[in-house]
Amino acid sequence: MKISREDVAYIAKLAKLRFSDEELDRLTREFETILTHFHSIDRMDLENVDLDKVPVDQQSVVRSDEKTVFEDKKKLFNNAKSMRETYIQVPKIIE
Amino acid sequence: MQSDYMSAWDISKGIAEKKFSAVEIVESHIKRIKERDGEIGAFLTLCEDEALAQAREVDEKISGGRPVGRLAGVPAAIKDNMCTDGIRTTCASKMLEDFIPPYNATVVERLLDEDAVIIGKTNMDEFAMGSSTENSAFRITKNPRDITRVPGGSSGGSAAAVAADMVPVTLGSDTGGSIRQPAAFCGVVGLKPTYGLVSRYGLIAFGSSLDQIGPFSKTVLDSALMLEAIQGKDERDSTSYRGEYQKSYTDSLGKDIKGMRIAVPKEFFMDGLDDEIAASVQESIKCFEGLGAKVDEISLPAAGDGLSAYYIISSAEASSNLARYDGIRYGYRAKDYTNIDELMEMSRSEAFGTEVKRRIMLGTYALSSGYYDEYYNRAQKFRKVLKGQFEDVFRSYDLILGPTSPVLPFKIGERNSDPLQMYLADVYTIIVNLVGVPAISIPCGRSTEGLPVGLQLIGPHYGELRILQAAHAFEQEIKLEL
Repeated sequence: MKISREDVAYIAKLAKLRFSDEELDRLTREFETILTHFHSIDRMDLENVDLDKVPVDQQSVVRSDEKTVFEDKKKLFNNAKSMRETYIQVPKIIE
Repeated sequence: MQSDYMSAWDISKGIAEKKFSAVEIVESHIKRIKERDGEIGAFLTLCEDEALAQAREVDEKISGGRPVGRLAGVPAAIKDNMCTDGIRTTCASKMLEDFIPPYNATVVERLLDEDAVIIGKTNMDEFAMGSSTENSAFRITKNPRDITRVPGGSSGGSAAAVAADMVPVTLGSDTGGSIRQPAAFCGVVGLKPTYGLVSRYGLIAFGSSLDQIGPFSKTVLDSALMLEAIQGKDERDSTSYRGEYQKSYTDSLGKDIKGMRIAVPKEFFMDGLDDEIAASVQESIKCFEGLGAKVDEISLPAAGDGLSAYYIISSAEASSNLARYDGIRYGYRAKDYTNIDELMEMSRSEAFGTEVKRRIMLGTYALSSGYYDEYYNRAQKFRKVLKGQFEDVFRSYDLILGPTSPVLPFKIGERNSDPLQMYLADVYTIIVNLVGVPAISIPCGRSTEGLPVGLQLIGPHYGELRILQAAHAFEQEIKLEL
């Protein structure tokens, strides 16, 4: 299992995380160990396992589509870092 | 430390019979926490004023002759990944250091409905990722049985609080063993119910197809009592069990287990299992036979291979669940940024700890284009095969028995440099989450150094009653003093 540092750097970008060069090297090594260990299941025959087949008695549960009002608005916004009136303030996203 | 311990069962009975008041009980437990927690570090938040106010309400109900719940006046602590209205809920992460939920998790509501008293929030591995509670951003929890050792994880604070008699019952969450492994390490009872039996609403998500809330206690009876209180259908959790629930577990404890069929997978006794744990489990098997159970060795071929599939699936789900922490609506926000992408990247990078980042990365990798089939899909296929193997066993047996952990509680700092070594501490517990069945860890012995050993009993889906009956019979038979 060969994983390159570039692969790991690309994944970091997807995950919205930043790492130093040393951290990227360490993660690359750890990934190799963990994913090599993963291949221990290669000796099992998984070819004919059909993930789309589900028991007939199993069905999705949906919630009734009814709106409810959360009364205490102040409590909801309590955790936002910066507000302007009833809006959460973020950096400008349209140039 | 044993002398001042009272079970939740005895507390609620005593309060209902007016032998003592809820305020007296809560005050004495707060005093104990203040005396002991400096050394142990099980709590992140102590809710002294709120707890006393709740206790006074319970006492008023009783003096007014009004009915009270089955946990009346029982001090309970909650793992810090379950939302408590108005009480800081941090997930032991810098990301949620100042997060104050605007609502209660369903389990918290249910405890309050039964008149339990929420006394505090307990320490854990950050976002429940870890097996030693060393990944907390705030403090290290020590094992009350030997303070140089870890309490296990990720619900280490909840296990330690019970082991040190600071509270009779706590709640933990178990994604891959996070209730059972710390229960084994601290020498207490820990129950992971069937996936769906207890609502996950308000539990901060880690691996949504694996997460389940359950109790810690010193006795099997208290765990049964707690399960009665917290289980049940919840409209707000789409995976909540829609069928019939067992109304009472406590009523049926004490029944004998003659004729119960117990399977012991030989794969549980392979390389890596501590000799003293193996010996203790073999002794326990003899005890079960003495109680009239029929114990057979069987084979569960996939049991030894679950670790990687578990880490792929749980990390994939974690990477998706933790994408919400972007520094916008709530949670940590970085100080320096020039645009929205930088705000998100800096906030996440500064606030998440090493293990959380590692799992987000592993999960993102497993789900990324080109690798999805090789890892995530294969892991799901493995999961299906494993489920089939468990179903086959449960066609002929009532329970599966084995060790909870392959290792005894290790020293603080001993394992945290090698993630794979740390993950191996969960080898017997993760398969239970992959299959979704219930399991309990109960103390079954002590090592020569006096460290507790945990025994795991696994049942079929919704087989909690069977597990609790067997665990109770065993507990009454061995009468272990830790």
